[in-house]
Amino acid sequence: MAETILEVKNLRKAYDDVVAVDGISFEVKKGEIFGILGPNGAGKTTTLEMIETLREIDNGTATIDGINVAKHPYEIRGMIGVQPQTPGFQDKTKLTELIQMFAAAYGERVDPKQFLDEVNLGEKADSFVENLSGGQKQRFSIVTALVHSPKVFFLDEPTTGLDPQARRNLWNLIKEVRDRGISVILTTHYMDEAEVLCDRVAIMDQGKIIALDTPKKLIRNLLDRGFKKEQHVEQANLEDVFIDMTGKGLHV
Amino acid sequence: MRLLEIIIIAALVLRVGWRIYRRRQPTGSQAPAKPKRSLSPWQRKWFTIWVFFSVNIRRLFRDRLALFFTFLFPLIFLFVFGGLSGKGGGTTFNVAIINKSQAPYAKQFIAQLDKQKVFKIDKSVTSFAVANDKMGRGELDATIEFPQDFGVVRPGQANPSGQAIVHYTQNSQSAATTLTSVLQAEVQGINTKLVHTTTPFTVTSKQTNERSLSSFDYTFTGLLGFAILGAGIFGPINVFPELKKMGILRRLHTTPLRVWQYFLSVMLGNAVSGLMSLAVMFVVAIALFHLKVVGNYLELAVFLAFSIIVILGIGLAIGGWARNERQAAPLANIVVFPMMFLSGTFFPRFLMPHWLQNITTFMPLSPVIDGARLIATEGKHLTDIGPQLGIMAAWLVLVYAIAFRVFRWE
Repeated sequence: MAETILEVKNLRKAYDDVVAVDGISFEVKKGEIFGILGPNGAGKTTTLEMIETLREIDNGTATIDGINVAKHPYEIRGMIGVQPQTPGFQDKTKLTELIQMFAAAYGERVDPKQFLDEVNLGEKADSFVENLSGGQKQRFSIVTALVHSPKVFFLDEPTTGLDPQARRNLWNLIKEVRDRGISVILTTHYMDEAEVLCDRVAIMDQGKIIALDTPKKLIRNLLDRGFKKEQHVEQANLEDVFIDMTGKGLHV
Repeated sequence: MRLLEIIIIAALVLRVGWRIYRRRQPTGSQAPAKPKRSLSPWQRKWFTIWVFFSVNIRRLFRDRLALFFTFLFPLIFLFVFGGLSGKGGGTTFNVAIINKSQAPYAKQFIAQLDKQKVFKIDKSVTSFAVANDKMGRGELDATIEFPQDFGVVRPGQANPSGQAIVHYTQNSQSAATTLTSVLQAEVQGINTKLVHTTTPFTVTSKQTNERSLSSFDYTFTGLLGFAILGAGIFGPINVFPELKKMGILRRLHTTPLRVWQYFLSVMLGNAVSGLMSLAVMFVVAIALFHLKVVGNYLELAVFLAFSIIVILGIGLAIGGWARNERQAAPLANIVVFPMMFLSGTFFPRFLMPHWLQNITTFMPLSPVIDGARLIATEGKHLTDIGPQLGIMAAWLVLVYAIAFRVFRWE
């Protein structure tokens, strides 16, 4: 079993009377993609923001690589990469300059070209972010969060609003990040995304984790309980047709 | 002081020259030859500030709107107000002349008046109806009437005689009084030529050699203050809510970047862009409005950079606190308008009643404007303007203490 990188115990957060996160616990291993699934308002984003040091933790603890999140926020911020739901970058700034800025925010000096090449944005080095497509922007945002080689990488609903190719592209990118040994924690409300991408998933509802396991195991458990899908399963769907016809590759 | 300046300029030139030289070198050999220097934790913090500062300065020069507000906007004000106050500094009266006399002497007299700088004769006015109308609207200060018999040689007299009449309205009494005495002096001069008498008492005026401040000196330093106010407050209150709306600050918040590092990079950027903008104002004022700077430029630059940073603190506090434009704008107006009108931006503070001067001395922009004037046009040194620097330092501490406390990343 791989070592644990993130440990969350009884994490709780309440806004006035509403309990957003209600005493949840889970662990994330080194080099796995961990998905937090759930409907809107389940407390996914709040959970992430507490671990990212952006929100105060009401109760419980979170530790990354043995370091307490609430007690050492600046140390934690240097160890994590964060991809927010809607990444925003200042305008009229070259991609290379933005990479330099983010690296500098972590106190690092880097070669921006190398990072841009990693996500196929090398040709766009001198462009501004406002001239990128949605998928390019998302890839760029990911690379800005990795400039300091973090141990844990958080993504909040990374593929919302992207077209199917860009989504698949991003999935591959996230897998590559995982393969570098970085633990990835992402939230999503797309079940297909979780099934394809995540090594393990936690399903959240009303601030609580109601299930936690590998996608395969969760499906097997359901089947073992005698669940049968009533409809006939197609061998391909319209999305597959679309991707087959337009090509899975990059559309820059 | 001179030596210090030379050393600083020489260091800058060498630094820029070295960078250009380095850039010329083929890039292929440069990349591997430059191993990553490892920085101490403290150096890293400053490296962060430096990168943020330099990227944002480069960004400024790509942003046309920001360039307009940084460089052209203050110049527009300079042209408007400089044009208003730059007319030689004397008082002039707008008058109309209505001449009913046919005598050549009257014409001669009017021609004489026309040469005087004190009078600005509106030649389009030829009737009382038009004159009264214009005086009613305040376009004319007075109308001088020369009656039919003005300048006519009466029977039995050797010389011409007559009486000019100054017409004025209720609102131009003081102008009329001055005008009347100017005319009287003029007439007196003629009288003594015509009728030889000795005048026992006379008054004559003589200019002293002491250099005095022209009204433009006050206008210009006021406009410097206005430019500092605009860049320091309206800059952040427009930019910060936008950065928050787009989640840019929130994204930075997930990094170990500290608020003081971010503030310092903004302070540095504003000080540099602000100094450039003020330098342009100085150049224009010296070239076109004959501003005479007698003070030391290095001290002036240091003082103005300090001023920019003090005023910027107010903008950082408001912009850093506000969640959106709707919170920022009203608060900024409440803070800015009193400073704009009471700190001597558009009219000098010495025109205010004493009690108001005493209060406004302590406003943050007043020592900025006074200090800039003392150094630039009166040749004072930083050591002479202790009171101003003291007030500014107090504001610096207060304003940044608030700014740090209320800053929000989102």
